[in-house]
Amino acid sequence: MTKFSPGRIFIYSILVLFCAIYLMPLLVMLLTSFKSLPDIRGGNLLSLPEVWVFDAWFKAWGTACTGVTCEGVKGYFWNSFKMAVPAVFISTLIGALNGYVIAHWRFKGSNLFFALMLFGCFIPFQVILLPMAATLGKFGLANTTTGLVFVHVVYGLVFTTLFFRNFYVSVPGELVKAAKLDGAGFFTIFFKIMLPISKPIIMVCIIWQFTQIWNDFLFGVVYSGSDSQPITVALNNLVNTSTGVKEYNVDMAAAIIAALPTLFVYVVAGKYFVRGLTAGSVKG
Amino acid sequence: MATLDIKQLYKRYGKSAPNTLEDINISINAGEFLILVGPSGCGKSTLMNMIAGLEEITSGDICIDGKVVNDVDPKDRDIAMVFQSYALYPNMTVRGNIEFALKIQKMDKDARETEITRVAQLLQIEHLLDRKPSQLSGGQQQRVSMGRALARQPKIYLFDEPLSNLDAKLRVEMRHEIKKLHQRLGTTIVYVTHDQIEAMTLADRIAVMKDGQLLQLGSPSEIYNDPADMFVAGFMGSPAMNFLHCSVEQSEHGLMGSLVCDQQQQHQIPLPEHLGKYAGKSLVVGIRPEQITHVNPYKKDKPLVTTLNLKLGVLEPTGPDTIALVTLNGKEISCRLDPDKPATMGENLNLMFDLSSAVYFDPNNEQRIR
Amino acid sequence: MFNTLQKWLPKIILSPSIFLVTVCIYGYVAWTGYLSLTHSRFLPNFKWAGLLQYNKLMENDRWVTSCINLLIFGVLFIIISIILGTLLAILLDQNIRQEGAIRTIYLYPMALSFIVTGTAWKWILNPGLGLEKMMHDWGWTSFEFNWLVSNDMSVYTLVIAAVWQSSGFVMAMFLAGLRGIDSSIVKAAQIDGASMPTIYWKIILPCLRPVFFSAVIITSHIAIKSFDLVTALTSGGPGYSSDLPALFMYTHAFTRGQMGLGAASAMMMLAGVLAILVPYLYSELRNREQ
Ligand SMILES: Nc1ncnc2c1ncn2[C@@H]1O[C@H](COP(=O)(O)OP(=O)(O)O)[C@@H](O)[C@H]1O
Ligand SMILES: [Mg+2]
Repeated sequence: MTKFSPGRIFIYSILVLFCAIYLMPLLVMLLTSFKSLPDIRGGNLLSLPEVWVFDAWFKAWGTACTGVTCEGVKGYFWNSFKMAVPAVFISTLIGALNGYVIAHWRFKGSNLFFALMLFGCFIPFQVILLPMAATLGKFGLANTTTGLVFVHVVYGLVFTTLFFRNFYVSVPGELVKAAKLDGAGFFTIFFKIMLPISKPIIMVCIIWQFTQIWNDFLFGVVYSGSDSQPITVALNNLVNTSTGVKEYNVDMAAAIIAALPTLFVYVVAGKYFVRGLTAGSVKG
Repeated sequence: MATLDIKQLYKRYGKSAPNTLEDINISINAGEFLILVGPSGCGKSTLMNMIAGLEEITSGDICIDGKVVNDVDPKDRDIAMVFQSYALYPNMTVRGNIEFALKIQKMDKDARETEITRVAQLLQIEHLLDRKPSQLSGGQQQRVSMGRALARQPKIYLFDEPLSNLDAKLRVEMRHEIKKLHQRLGTTIVYVTHDQIEAMTLADRIAVMKDGQLLQLGSPSEIYNDPADMFVAGFMGSPAMNFLHCSVEQSEHGLMGSLVCDQQQQHQIPLPEHLGKYAGKSLVVGIRPEQITHVNPYKKDKPLVTTLNLKLGVLEPTGPDTIALVTLNGKEISCRLDPDKPATMGENLNLMFDLSSAVYFDPNNEQRIR
Repeated sequence: MFNTLQKWLPKIILSPSIFLVTVCIYGYVAWTGYLSLTHSRFLPNFKWAGLLQYNKLMENDRWVTSCINLLIFGVLFIIISIILGTLLAILLDQNIRQEGAIRTIYLYPMALSFIVTGTAWKWILNPGLGLEKMMHDWGWTSFEFNWLVSNDMSVYTLVIAAVWQSSGFVMAMFLAGLRGIDSSIVKAAQIDGASMPTIYWKIILPCLRPVFFSAVIITSHIAIKSFDLVTALTSGGPGYSSDLPALFMYTHAFTRGQMGLGAASAMMMLAGVLAILVPYLYSELRNREQ
């Protein structure tokens, strides 16, 4: 063990100080969500609640107003799941197949396509918002969860393909050659050899996509209708609804509810989360 | 057992790319052990992949048992291949690896079991059957990858540098094992290596390649003793053949080549009379290290044997021989000396040059002069 | 028959994606580009307008403000995140006990939506009840903090929240970079008698140049696309004093019925991204060739 010299004490105090800074907003959110409104006005951000009350949580979940309706965020919470689960699943599957083809079944033009895709990672989504809205409208998918799933699949595809391609190029081509000689075809090699060794990248991909889609606001606010809004949009509406007194405790409870699934994923599978972050960091 | 014929085979990666393989013609007999050697990048793996059907053929034909298989799928060619990286399926156990091809062929369970047992016994890997490849040592992985090939009982085996990733001792062991297997099974084998001992000891015939071309195809002793050009001569043998550039003169003692040692002294070596047309010109004498030795009194008076007094440079005792470097024509050449006879660095020693089995090359095109 | 199918399978598998990427990325960019050259308002209108929308954009106060804001926000956000990230990474790289736990704490904001981040900081920076009240309670009665409602300062609240959310990520990138450096280099320098600060300054940090560049690319990308954070934290206000191009684009294209103008602003955003990305990719490719 290293001795605690003054230098190391200094290092540790800085690190701990920053821990406090990073944790402070979460703490504030939690404390506030358990306070009553008078308590909020009487105390301050970091003061403990006089009495711990759960009213704000129930209200945020079930009865708070998010724009025109006053049914809390619960419906939107499930909307987000209904959108995220299929979108994550589909984009991961397509990404795995694409990555497999680009890495091991190259054909003329497949590399060009990959370059186009890679470049596509960098475009700001604002440039595709308007035409996509027109397209969704044309196919009757405007304001539907299906439409949102489609959008998330299309623009998530680029990243999932990138993940899997980078993983599969590190798998030696000789493995595929050996399997071909053993009589295996395209899908046999994919399902029997590639997928079983892809567990880590599948985890990375699922977690990355889930976090991105759950946390998305732009597509949600542009393409969802009142009954398909994801939780981020509902949270924003709830916070900015300007009727009556501001209920900060309800805002905070709703914000925590919106953050719970991704925080949960982060705590449970942090390793994969960080790996995905660095690998897919182009998305920003 | 099958024959394999490669006829006027060309390969280009991409339309405007240069030829990776150029006019390759090889006929392999049933049960023959053919070895491909050549520097890395010369196209050996490409050729193997084309035989296996993993790469498209640009032009030419590949025939198995006399039938053109250019458009036959890899899996229908009945070929097994062992790779340098072993290419074991990491998610499957050893058993699963061996079984994979059999399952695809829809062989029933009992037959598969019998086959696995047979192969496992043959390669002594019975105790490894339930392990994953990652739990095996390099040598064990190597055995498994051979087992996977053997289980298929294919017509032709392809080995692409199968022993390159093993350490020296294991490599020798596996070499013996492969030789025994071939003798026992008698199948046709095409085998790539860059280890010349492997080539010399395993092959029925050796094909030497360079830059996509087949330079020479012949038995190990033909390749070693009768090389077609300077590249083949220099490629096989360790230490490599010495090349002495000398000018040829007709003297009263017959045809002579003159050389200069590092003490600026002229030396003469006798050359055979059939090189008479090179008098007044220069040529390259190729002489192997074992043809430059201590003076051997029994050979002394034979034709084409001469003794030169030269200063010894660095000595490298290898055990059975001592390799000595001497400088001739400004180039270091190696001689194989008897380790029991005294020799010290810097000493002047009489060295006997036996040119009776030396080979001669034209310095302009590096081709053999016959 | 079976064999030809096998031969075509890779292409068949990839073709839907090729179609989607070509149409939904490149096609749509072209479409937006075209819209920006028309008179489109609430509905697409294909009457040619030339560069009219771009001229309107340049003369639009709100657009100019949002661009200046982006510059302020972007530069501060990038510089602070990178300095903070590097510093924390170096400190964390000193055989720290509980390193894993500390890293987890620094990085968790990255798992949150910018909407959540914005909501939280909006409360913390609340002029009456937030930070200000806390400082007063703690005895610092002259403390004043009203950036959120100040025309001049609201854009800086975006910097605070964005740095809080993303600096841990920059830290993770640098930490990975530090771990990737061959430790024998450091040992060699120590034997040569270099002090630890010299080693960091002269040897290790220069080795992290590529990490530095990718951190700049990523953070600038986050900055340019920033839409959720500004929506949740300031909604561009007060007035439009903390507006950003992404919010400008959304507002004009979708709520104000200025589709042509919105499209033009989107194209300008794309141009901004390209202006950063193309030189970077160019130098990357050149380095790779060498
Ligand atoms: N898939 C490929 N595409 C383009 N060129 C290739 C490909 N595979 C091999 N080559 C080129 O063909 C030449 C021969 O390669 P290879 O057959 O692997 O050589 P060897 O096995 O003899 O070392 C090399 O120059 C290599 O760069
Ligand atoms: Mg090779």
